[in-house]
Amino acid sequence: MKILVVEDERGLRENITTYFSEEGNICESCCDLATAIAKLSIYHYDCILLDIGLPDGDGFAVLEYLKLNRRDEVVIIISARNSLDDKIRGLNIGADDYLTKPFHLAELKARVIAVYRRKAANGKNLLVFNEIIIDLHGRTVTVNDTPIVLTRKEYDMLLYFIANKGKVIAKNALAEHLWGDEIDMHNNFDFIYTHIKNLRKKIIDAGGKDYLESVYGIGYKFKAI
Amino acid sequence: MKLAAQYNRTNIFITIGVLIVGAAIYFFAINYIARSQLDDDLSEEIEEVQDYVVLNHQLPKQVDFDEDQTVFIKTDLKKLDRVYFDTTYTNQKENKAEPGRAVAALVSLHGVNYKAVIIVSRESTEYIIQFIALITLGLMVGVLIVLFLANRYFLNDLWKPFYYLLHQIKSFSISDDGGFKLSDNKIDEFAELSLAIESMASRVRSDYQNLKHITDNASHEMLTPLAVITSKLDTLIQYQTLPPELYEQINDIYAATSKLSRLNQTLLLLTKIENQLIDDNEQVDLCSLVREKTRQFQELISAKHIQCAENLQEKNILASKYLIDIMLNNLMSNAIRHNIDDGHIIISLNETGLTFKNTGLNKPLDYDDIFERFKKGKRSDGVGLGLALVSNICQLYQWKITYSYKDQYHIFQINF
Repeated sequence: MKILVVEDERGLRENITTYFSEEGNICESCCDLATAIAKLSIYHYDCILLDIGLPDGDGFAVLEYLKLNRRDEVVIIISARNSLDDKIRGLNIGADDYLTKPFHLAELKARVIAVYRRKAANGKNLLVFNEIIIDLHGRTVTVNDTPIVLTRKEYDMLLYFIANKGKVIAKNALAEHLWGDEIDMHNNFDFIYTHIKNLRKKIIDAGGKDYLESVYGIGYKFKAI
Repeated sequence: MKLAAQYNRTNIFITIGVLIVGAAIYFFAINYIARSQLDDDLSEEIEEVQDYVVLNHQLPKQVDFDEDQTVFIKTDLKKLDRVYFDTTYTNQKENKAEPGRAVAALVSLHGVNYKAVIIVSRESTEYIIQFIALITLGLMVGVLIVLFLANRYFLNDLWKPFYYLLHQIKSFSISDDGGFKLSDNKIDEFAELSLAIESMASRVRSDYQNLKHITDNASHEMLTPLAVITSKLDTLIQYQTLPPELYEQINDIYAATSKLSRLNQTLLLLTKIENQLIDDNEQVDLCSLVREKTRQFQELISAKHIQCAENLQEKNILASKYLIDIMLNNLMSNAIRHNIDDGHIIISLNETGLTFKNTGLNKPLDYDDIFERFKKGKRSDGVGLGLALVSNICQLYQWKITYSYKDQYHIFQINF
């Protein structure tokens, strides 16, 4: 996947680039509107991560440029402005998702992959990861052709893990993904463990490999083997 | 006491005092004038008597003196100064005693000294004085009534602009943009006052707006650095060569960051609600929303082994679903956070209100400032904005939220 990151904050830009650069992804970045438009006029990307507040203008201009040139890049807005108007405006002129800062990189990756998959799937609704096959449309999962029954949280968790395979995911990020960031978990993430345990058991019971690994009490990792 | 009443009272007391003193002076003056008039008449008459005696060498007959009574008394006195005095006048026709005025002087006839006394009736003068006193009294009462009425109606009218201004100040809301409606004041003082108040109000409003903009901007500006911290941490934990102790530190930074970001979002939301920027009102099915909420919090509830009971009736309200969601989040979150292990939560919803009851500390919270910003219990690790937010949302929709403590239950009641 070829990704363009348009973000003026250096620290954030670099981290996003690093996080997305692995497993065959090509990740380019720029820090202002002019460069972004210039890059877009030469290259084609699969996905654009777009900050709205740029030093030389509004990120919406990129969306308008893409719309004008009938481009089909997936665009995810990453903005500090959590306003409904901005969200509606962005989504109306062609953005595919809107993520408010601050966010976890894992969350961003999961969104990118979900949106990209939706756009690029062209009717194919099957996500295949080794022996695990997920029917995104019917929300069913089979491991080695054995169907396994997952709860909603376990299913969401599995998708999140596969999108971030090989990465360590903080419990914090996982909890926010599953319960939404409006719900204050009071820094009590013990119950995540129960869901992880169940998911892991269901996959192993169906003959799958043991992908889930706990990392020093900070989070979990879905091994990309 | 109202200013007009106070003014009225003082005014009337002073007027009464001045009138009484004035009436007294008036009475004495008239009395004095009437008396000197009588004395003048009497002195004329006594001189006539003396002349008569000198001319006719005999005492005058009674008839010569009209109504006046003249008495001659033989006396041994060689010398007697003329004296005037009050006495009784006997009206022989009507046979009654009247107040009288008399003069006494020495008359000598054929070497014999007589004391001549002439008495006149004072009744007519008395009558005039009484009449004048009556008129004065009538005037006094009249003046008092007129003063009283004038003060009451004219003064009230005069103070009308003041009460109007007062009403405007009382209904002044700092976040409300409706300016003062100033009436056209003819009185300089009131015109000046209303101008001063108006400029003060607009100054306060603009200061408040600036402050809100600062909060808004500061909160927004904080979000990007927070995003940087979060992404750095997310990157940091990918290095599995880090010693495990560091992970604990990172966990704490994660917790602090998420708390900061939550605080920030709440502040932004509070500003938005206060600016009434959220107006996506729709029909919200509160009952199913509460059910959904308990489902969402299921893990947290069971982690503390809390028994959660619902007693819900259908209730639709017109509100922003987003805000209601946040309100329920906060109420629910508080009910769990401040609960004890194996505690209880009872949520009831009916036509008139929504109630959250939960067990917790065995003593009531501080009633007064529970809905204030940054007030929180000592045990609480929240930021202290939750209830302020709930109370603001209630205020927005003009609901009443109250807290009470009864039978070991902390009760938050919202009345629609």
